[in-house]
Amino acid sequence: MIVAERKPIEEIKRMLEGYPSVLVVGCDSCVAECAAGGHRETQLLAAALQLAFGKEGKSPVITEACIDRQCVDDFIESIASLVPEHAAILSLGCGAGVQALARVYSDKPVFPALDTLFIGETEMRGIWQENCLGCGQCKLGYFGAVCPVTRCSKRLMNGPCGGSKDGRCEVNPDIRCGWQMIIDRLEALGELARLSEYIPPVDWSTSHSGGPRRVVREDQLP
Amino acid sequence: METKPIKIVVYHCRNLQLFNNGNQKALARRKPGLKLVPIPCSGKVEAHHLLKTLAAGTQGVLVVACEEKACRFVEGSMRSHKRVDYARSWLEELGIEQERVEYVHVPPRDLDALERLIDEFKARVEALGNMFSERSP
Repeated sequence: MIVAERKPIEEIKRMLEGYPSVLVVGCDSCVAECAAGGHRETQLLAAALQLAFGKEGKSPVITEACIDRQCVDDFIESIASLVPEHAAILSLGCGAGVQALARVYSDKPVFPALDTLFIGETEMRGIWQENCLGCGQCKLGYFGAVCPVTRCSKRLMNGPCGGSKDGRCEVNPDIRCGWQMIIDRLEALGELARLSEYIPPVDWSTSHSGGPRRVVREDQLP
Repeated sequence: METKPIKIVVYHCRNLQLFNNGNQKALARRKPGLKLVPIPCSGKVEAHHLLKTLAAGTQGVLVVACEEKACRFVEGSMRSHKRVDYARSWLEELGIEQERVEYVHVPPRDLDALERLIDEFKARVEALGNMFSERSP
């Protein structure tokens, strides 16, 4: 899932300054799981904005709505009746959600309420861990399903480096050494021999080097 | 000119069994501006409820919970405590007095203790003054 964090309220308020009405739109998918942009957070931010503006003697109309997925047009259309009544949209979706709203409602200014951080997992309630960089050539099968591109600070494909100490990373001792995790896991699975295979460095041309990536599947097209 | 009583909302856990035979209405009548909201467990209160209550023009919100070890749903009081703290952190970020939202315990069925806590809370909130100046669109 996509993990995001709310922007400081001052920054959000600055973006919305001057608009008489704002539609605050949450997304009940990834950003709800990371407690940043689901229906609870949407209600919270809408109330906070009312308080923030109210404190300055202003009372713009603030309406809240939450859709299941902000990155899919079918869901985005569910707020179509609310959009014309508002001067601006504040999105609690990830960067993809914000841009999808802006594309569908092209005549409305759309602002992000969140900073989109990474692709990750919920490690436990309240802790989200980055574990995928979207490099475009998944090699998890070679590394016991622990990603060296994301979990190793140096993105080594044939690690660990000399700085790994007591299972901690030399770049930041607060995090576990990704390569220690790979070795521990393969050892536990009895598949350590997998590491004897040489894996070439990552070919970053499948990542962001060619501009925004796109997947087209003929069988899925209308 | 007669001044309006300040609005205070009290979310109280139903398991405290503070009210029976209509004494909730009697208390609300004795204290103008006071709204008592029973909830199945204080753990049902979330930060957005508290901020929405304030945004609706309430000057102070009190969450009355069971003692943490006595919570019927085990984690309810602990959760509501965390959520009140979270709501207070929002108020701090918004530049609004955190004292407008408070979390308190009262012993079960002790209406006198609740009334005392409400009076003390109301006095503190009154001292803070009105949260909003005159509004304009």
